[in-house]
Amino acid sequence: MKKRTVKMINAVLAATMGLTLMAAGCGSSSGSSSTGSTAADTTAPETSAATEGTTSTASGEESSGAPGDVMSSEEIIRKASGEGKISNWGIGNQYEILALLAKYDLPLEYLSEDFTMDAFDDDTSTLASAMTYNELGLVKNSYDGAYGYGDTVGYIDMNDEGVAMLEDNIFCTKEFAAQNPETVKAFLYASIKGWQYAVEHPDEAAQIVYEAGSSVSQDHQKYMASEVAKLVETDMNGNTVTDIGKIDDAAMKQTLDIAQQYVTLDDSSAQEAFAALTVDDICDSSLYDAAMASTDGKFNVEKNEVSIQLKWLPQAQFMGYYVADAKGYYDEVGLKVNIVSGGGDISETTAVNNGTVDFGVTWPTNMAVANAGGMNLVEVAQIFQRSGMTLVYKYDNFRK
Amino acid sequence: MVKKVNKIFDHKWASTLLWIIAIIIVWEIAACIVAATKRTPENILPHLYQIVAAIFSPKEVSSGMTAIMIVLTSARATILRSLLGFLLGIAAGFLLALIMKMSGLLEKMLFPYLMLIQLIPVLGLAPIVLSITGDINKSRIIIAAILSFYPVATNTLAGFKSVSRDKYDLMYTYAAKKRTIYTKVLIPSAIPYFFTGTKIAAPMAITASILVDTLQGDGGLGCMLSQSLKHAMSIYVFWLIVFFSAFIGILSTHLMSWIEALISPEKRVIRKAKREDRKMKAAKAPEAAKDYVYDRRARMCSKRRS
Amino acid sequence: MAQTTQKIKRPKTLYQRFKENSKAQSAATIVMPVLLGVVIVILWQSQALHHLLRTNTFTLPLLTRIGEIFGENLDKIWDNSVATMTVAFVGLLIGSLLGYGVAIFAALCPRVGKGGLTVIGAFASIPVVALAPVMNNWTKDVSDVASVRSMVAKILVVMLIAAANMCLNAYRGLTELKPYAMDLMDTYAAKKRTVFVKLQLPNSVPYIFTALKVSVPSSIITAIVSEYFAEYIIGVGRQIRENIVLAQYPTAWAYIAAACLLGVAAYVVLMIAQSILLRRYH
Repeated sequence: MKKRTVKMINAVLAATMGLTLMAAGCGSSSGSSSTGSTAADTTAPETSAATEGTTSTASGEESSGAPGDVMSSEEIIRKASGEGKISNWGIGNQYEILALLAKYDLPLEYLSEDFTMDAFDDDTSTLASAMTYNELGLVKNSYDGAYGYGDTVGYIDMNDEGVAMLEDNIFCTKEFAAQNPETVKAFLYASIKGWQYAVEHPDEAAQIVYEAGSSVSQDHQKYMASEVAKLVETDMNGNTVTDIGKIDDAAMKQTLDIAQQYVTLDDSSAQEAFAALTVDDICDSSLYDAAMASTDGKFNVEKNEVSIQLKWLPQAQFMGYYVADAKGYYDEVGLKVNIVSGGGDISETTAVNNGTVDFGVTWPTNMAVANAGGMNLVEVAQIFQRSGMTLVYKYDNFRK
Repeated sequence: MVKKVNKIFDHKWASTLLWIIAIIIVWEIAACIVAATKRTPENILPHLYQIVAAIFSPKEVSSGMTAIMIVLTSARATILRSLLGFLLGIAAGFLLALIMKMSGLLEKMLFPYLMLIQLIPVLGLAPIVLSITGDINKSRIIIAAILSFYPVATNTLAGFKSVSRDKYDLMYTYAAKKRTIYTKVLIPSAIPYFFTGTKIAAPMAITASILVDTLQGDGGLGCMLSQSLKHAMSIYVFWLIVFFSAFIGILSTHLMSWIEALISPEKRVIRKAKREDRKMKAAKAPEAAKDYVYDRRARMCSKRRS
Repeated sequence: MAQTTQKIKRPKTLYQRFKENSKAQSAATIVMPVLLGVVIVILWQSQALHHLLRTNTFTLPLLTRIGEIFGENLDKIWDNSVATMTVAFVGLLIGSLLGYGVAIFAALCPRVGKGGLTVIGAFASIPVVALAPVMNNWTKDVSDVASVRSMVAKILVVMLIAAANMCLNAYRGLTELKPYAMDLMDTYAAKKRTVFVKLQLPNSVPYIFTALKVSVPSSIITAIVSEYFAEYIIGVGRQIRENIVLAQYPTAWAYIAAACLLGVAAYVVLMIAQSILLRRYH
């Protein structure tokens, strides 16, 4: 019996030694392989300078700027769809992609993207959804956390494809709007002022957001601010927006049409209610118009303290509110505004509907679906005038 | 030589160390392979030294904080919430077990539902709890409480039931009051079981808190986990959080063992026995000292055999 | 019950008679939970529960409404349930076998194996959320088909959790023998193999069920949670999440109910298996 134990111990020892040797071998190979990563590390400080370069070139570039030997958008979409490598996050973000697929008579199937662009990185997905102000920047730029593809990737813009849907808006419940019209007007007045300032000074806005408690690196925050500014001041057709935050009826109609075609709800009564919705059921421009008509910015507010629920964590996507707060625009109209950060699956529609917060930022589609389910929400302003959704691809995967 | 090695492996820590080394080796081999084949290896499997380097990296990742500062500040929020929820949960669990012990009918009534609570997915609860409380922090505390509640309640109840008939009989011969029976017999004998429950509940409360963080945002480890995974900041924040959350999960279990050792009378007896008489006959050890007894028995048996 | 011995001379109250009547007791085991269930249903349906919790029928829809949607979408719910169940079951099976294997290893050579228990126990404390996305990345090369590799990733997560649980319990089952059982074996001069097969293995059976009682619900919940992060869109968990984000609470509740039903069904199966197996051994 003792012999056996000794044998066993010996075997274990031998195994350990073997493993140690292997580890040593691995160590040397890791030494050689790590040169790549150390090289990346040493370049990191320089990238802060380089980043600005990439940022400006990245933002100046349009999807048409692709090299000549790359396929056309349609060919790319057809190829990726044929391989089953188009991806999107789902959970209410997928309708533009579905509309795009339908436009080219392709099967309405897509892969689920997780939090990351790793699937795009390793070619599991060759045509991946990316917001211009977030994922697209992470793919292109080379700051910490980003993938650094630079000019080797192109993207298909939903606005160009005619399947764009509107995104970030401001909404509240119909009761709140009816009971506190002056408060809503005051809030809109100050918020739009904040947005105007933010769009004109994106770098300063990014800094304000960053200081307000950011969950995003500073470099990325700046990139995001510059891209968000474009979504706010350009409409779906590429024209400059004159009234920031005004609800564009035609764009809203397009959004609702696409939504009504592709949103499928398991709840049949909600589905019927959704199909019957019109733009007037979910939007009310009158308060925005009244707020903008004010010359002195004085409102007789019914409620001094209001809160706004963001769709995500503090980031430049919501810079207008942070700027309005930091610059004292809210104080000027007699409001104390509490900006409640969202994130994850927090449902801004639910939070507004049950009165936890007064205002919310969401996408019109989400709001319309919530209304179909029995909520009573109304959009009072439309901040993003064009879709930030793109499909990003590597040129190398789609050469002719 | 062999004897010396043998002796070293008599200690538990030595074999634990061996396993940890083995895991590190496997990890590093995999990391080498990943580094050689993938474009961005740090997203899939970075080398351990890179993760360690991230701890000490002075580079600001976000909000003027370094990676480790982010992890620690968000950990504070998460740990605080899960601790509050955990305390609430174990208190409620213990009370419920007591009530169920007092009334057999209530036990019959509630026990199946206790099982059912465990089967409801956390995420299903999260938004509903949020809409009821209207406050993110409160909702997370309540969810942590609900999750830690179940193991404590069932284990404590099992503890109450483990009291043998002899002990009741003894108390009856003393003409002890019902209250005395509870305070002197039932509750003390349920305490080891209660701690078994808390040892399961503690990491669960933390896991739940992190999970709900990822779903609801507003700070916390889970929130930062998903943010860094989205590459909103350095990916190493993600790896740090993975390791850190595993670490606090393990620590929480051990913490419960320490607290148990501090306050429960049985454990004090065991320590005393260990100190005073290492060769004490196993059979004489107090009944509650099971682990220790069997441990020793196994060892003695193996010695005898060899 | 024990309390009655104290008052044995006094005339029995109705309550005591009830307590001592085993038929009444077993009836109560069924009647009482059902009674509470009925009360809850009434409270829920009459919206008293909503007042109590200060919520509305929007986030907490009426049961009839949930049932209606459940009935409407039986096919879809079934498909998603099958996907979730497959992940949970396969993960549980592989994980439990793996955990049991490690436990045997630890029981046979405690010197090396015990450290493994500590390490595996540590796995049980790792939050699933942290594992799920990592597993997605690790399984990219497993298959070209998204549904397959995403399922493998989910199974791996469930597997780890189940393995940890089984390992710790099975080890106790293999080593915490009845006092003097080992001595008896020694007097028989039984071989180590015989001891293992005749004593240790049967002794571990109840512990396996202890482990499974925890593993079964937790593997279902783990499967559901890992679905939130999975690459391929299917499963009860994914449906719950999508519907909650779209504020479709009645539908989300229908899937929550499905998840509960899955858990209850699995638990019942486990209980039946336990009563059959344990009767044979003990």
